[in-house]
Amino acid sequence: MLTDAEKSRYSRQIRLFGEEGQEKLKETAVFIAGAGGLGSIVSIYMAAAGFGRIRIVDCDRVELSNLNRQVLHWSDDVGRNKVESALETLRGINPEIEVEALVETIAKDSIDRLLEGSDLIMDAMDNFPTRYLLNQAALRRGLPLFHGAISGLQGQAATIVPGRSACLKCIFPRAPPATTFPAFGATCGVIGSIQVTEAMKYVLGRGQLLQNRLLLWDGLSASMDEVVCERNPGCEACHEY
Amino acid sequence: MIIALPDGSRKEMAVENARIQDLLRDLGINPVEVIVAKNGRIVPEEEMAGCGDEIKVVRIVHGG
Repeated sequence: MLTDAEKSRYSRQIRLFGEEGQEKLKETAVFIAGAGGLGSIVSIYMAAAGFGRIRIVDCDRVELSNLNRQVLHWSDDVGRNKVESALETLRGINPEIEVEALVETIAKDSIDRLLEGSDLIMDAMDNFPTRYLLNQAALRRGLPLFHGAISGLQGQAATIVPGRSACLKCIFPRAPPATTFPAFGATCGVIGSIQVTEAMKYVLGRGQLLQNRLLLWDGLSASMDEVVCERNPGCEACHEY
Repeated sequence: MIIALPDGSRKEMAVENARIQDLLRDLGINPVEVIVAKNGRIVPEEEMAGCGDEIKVVRIVHGG
């Protein structure tokens, strides 16, 4: 049940998907992997939208060079753990929800513990090896994974639903080389917003998800494109699911 | 064959039948950095492409 304060806070969304839809968001527990550029947009919009429980995980501290895009963190936060400033920002945005912020490394031996109790996984990582861990854990636990990645003015997004769609490894069979990537905050805004919209649609059972489709954003030409991706029957990650 | 490159440019190549990995090599593109779609569908780089096909080379982004 929504309180009167929640009905007022979410009134514009309730016009969109009713109190019933808002209650579904309230009942949803979200795992956000990373409190960087994408993690900032994803967590801020999920908190504001009223996803009821948010667990955000990051092991880094805020650096000055993060602040062009990582809007969870402000100038006075430089040197603090990212999840500390994330917790403050998210609680400030929406005190009605539960936020848990953990200084942890997402690794093979920690991921199942970190995902305990979560209903969906938001990929806000900056590297493919950890994304593959999220993908494998999503498959194992039957949880949807909302993928996003950026570099400069380009970005990509896809929704992975175990058993129903291509997995991350079907789409990207091998990791691209790790490099220091250029980053523009507004690109994180585009891709992170798409990820949150996908998560909302998944929870509410609305629209067409980015399943078996990789969405491509190019800021330079201001264009979106998509390519179809199919399950690979020989995929080493998902063939048994 | 029309090839859409990651920088947004398009190139026409007079190729009868070629393996995509060979096309990438001829274009000087490191296959580890990209995925390739043939006629709108992601395909493995072992796939063959012919003169009527439209190839899109997508540079994988990994940042967050």
